Amino acid sequence: MKVDPRFALRPLAAALLLGCGLAHAQSTGEAALMQRLDQLAAELAAVKAELATLQQQRATAAAPVAQAAPAAQAVPAAQAAPVADASGSARYSVSAGSATVIGGYGEINYNRPKNSSRDAQADLRRAVLGIQHRFDDRTKVVTELEVEHAVASSGDDGEVALEQAYVEHQFSPAWAARAGLFLVPMGLINENHEPNAYYGVERNFVETAIIPSTWREGGVQAVGSFDNGLTLQAGVATGFNVNKWDPAEGRESPLGAIHQEMQLARSRDLSLFGALNWRGIPGLLVGGGVFSGGASHGISVNKSRVTLWDLHARWTPGRWDLAAVVARGSISNSAALNNEFGIVGSDAPIPRSFDGGYVQAAYKLWESGSYKLKPFVRVERFNVARRYADGLGPIGTPDGLPTERVLTAGTNFDIGSGVVLKADYQKFKQNKDLDRFDLGLGWSF
Amino acid sequence: MRVLTTLAVPLALAPAGAFAVEYMTAEQAAKLMFPDAERFEARALALDAAQMQQLAARGVAPRSAQWSVRAALRGTQVLGYVVADAVIGKFELIGYAVGLAADGSVKQVEILSYRESHGHEIRLPAWRRQFVGKTAAAPLRVGEDIANISGATLSCSHVTEGVRRIVAVVEMGRKGGGL
Repeated sequence: MKVDPRFALRPLAAALLLGCGLAHAQSTGEAALMQRLDQLAAELAAVKAELATLQQQRATAAAPVAQAAPAAQAVPAAQAAPVADASGSARYSVSAGSATVIGGYGEINYNRPKNSSRDAQADLRRAVLGIQHRFDDRTKVVTELEVEHAVASSGDDGEVALEQAYVEHQFSPAWAARAGLFLVPMGLINENHEPNAYYGVERNFVETAIIPSTWREGGVQAVGSFDNGLTLQAGVATGFNVNKWDPAEGRESPLGAIHQEMQLARSRDLSLFGALNWRGIPGLLVGGGVFSGGASHGISVNKSRVTLWDLHARWTPGRWDLAAVVARGSISNSAALNNEFGIVGSDAPIPRSFDGGYVQAAYKLWESGSYKLKPFVRVERFNVARRYADGLGPIGTPDGLPTERVLTAGTNFDIGSGVVLKADYQKFKQNKDLDRFDLGLGWSF
Repeated sequence: MRVLTTLAVPLALAPAGAFAVEYMTAEQAAKLMFPDAERFEARALALDAAQMQQLAARGVAPRSAQWSVRAALRGTQVLGYVVADAVIGKFELIGYAVGLAADGSVKQVEILSYRESHGHEIRLPAWRRQFVGKTAAAPLRVGEDIANISGATLSCSHVTEGVRRIVAVVEMGRKGGGL
């Protein structure tokens, strides 16, 4: 396996940086060393260019037909730096970079309920290892392997899961297709869920309880990217399975209880999804998504369809980062399903609809070098059982649960672009026992 | 099956054969930025230790002492400069070129290549236009004078850092007589 040269060079880079840090200034000797490195890099680039030329000549000789292909396709994938051409000027090769890149992210969270310190908990919430391999200039495979809660065994609560495993092929600058296990384009977090991509120690409730982030499905997806700022994603994929309904999980997240994550996913019924996002004005994102499909798979007598849609916006003028999301989901024929499953009147029957929304404002208050302090506040409302069909909900709340409102205030403290420290306080309107302090450490590379 | 057929339609309509991620070469970008130029002259710019330290003191990571700069010429008049470079986005390299007017201000930024699954929006003209007119005196930072693109934070930040570095290097070359 060819590993990204960034990693191979890191010890050298770290040594150089350390040297710089200790000296607080570059000596002439260090500058000379850097110039020598540059010279070596240039020589290496020249050798690679010669090799590329030889390979190209060989390929041309072997397959004259290939000359009809676009010139860029003949550029071998090994070229990794600006390369000197015949006139001595540098030309940039798009085929640069390693074929295999390792990435990852992780987060460690500490939650301390205000009124119940005995429930305080520290958790290695997740550590994810991502490996991306590019087969050629148009085709790559993306995988992410996740371990949640540090230990996964028969006696522990952790789990190991593949979050993503898809092949992407680029047909043209505008159109690509993905096939495999991919993230559903919904909301702001689901496709960008690294800890330094969102505010707060915990992901917001709307995008966990209503949109079940990290939500992935198996299928095929077309991705269109246009010069007017529109991005269109649409496809067909596996969907939910209402036969998996678990009251305890359903009370936390209706779709989280019946998602399948491509783990021997029932797929008699497939779902359709689409998302449209517009980024035509710098700093502004406006978009929405919809996902809908059968969820009974011929197992339950009563057929059911699960539908979820969202609208979202994010605006980052100057130091501000403003965001809003609304999402609503429904499970059709829930009255009949609750009767069939014998859960009418139980603590958590299948709801007919569930929804939520939040607004969030963050501000880059202070920046020095690679440090950034970004306090934020978020107000959200969500209801995991807005309505039960025919008033057949739990005793006491037959028509629907009360809406929970959560105020989260805190700060993200970025160290460079890859590490974030977080602290916040969350205040719940309905269930005040949940009021808590949170601390977090996250990283992404 | 009807669904799959429907899905296949836009794919079938997609233009085939185009190179997927290389939008233009550095040469094409240079000609696009300076259509009036009669020729481009490659000039090697070598920063000395003192210049590297000056850059670092201004918060610009020098990265390299050797820079290849194309000077756009019309007769003997220097119309401006073009520097092609590459930075890592999130996982993969982004190729880009910065065109600078003779006074060192940014004239145009072009994305030469982009290979990430997300964040191609940095190619949008509206995003790239934010750099036009910026000089070495500008912050040239995401979250200051350059707006971010949601979902492409690392790509935006790294390209912006790259532009800041090139603007500073060319400024240094102009003032130091290296260009």
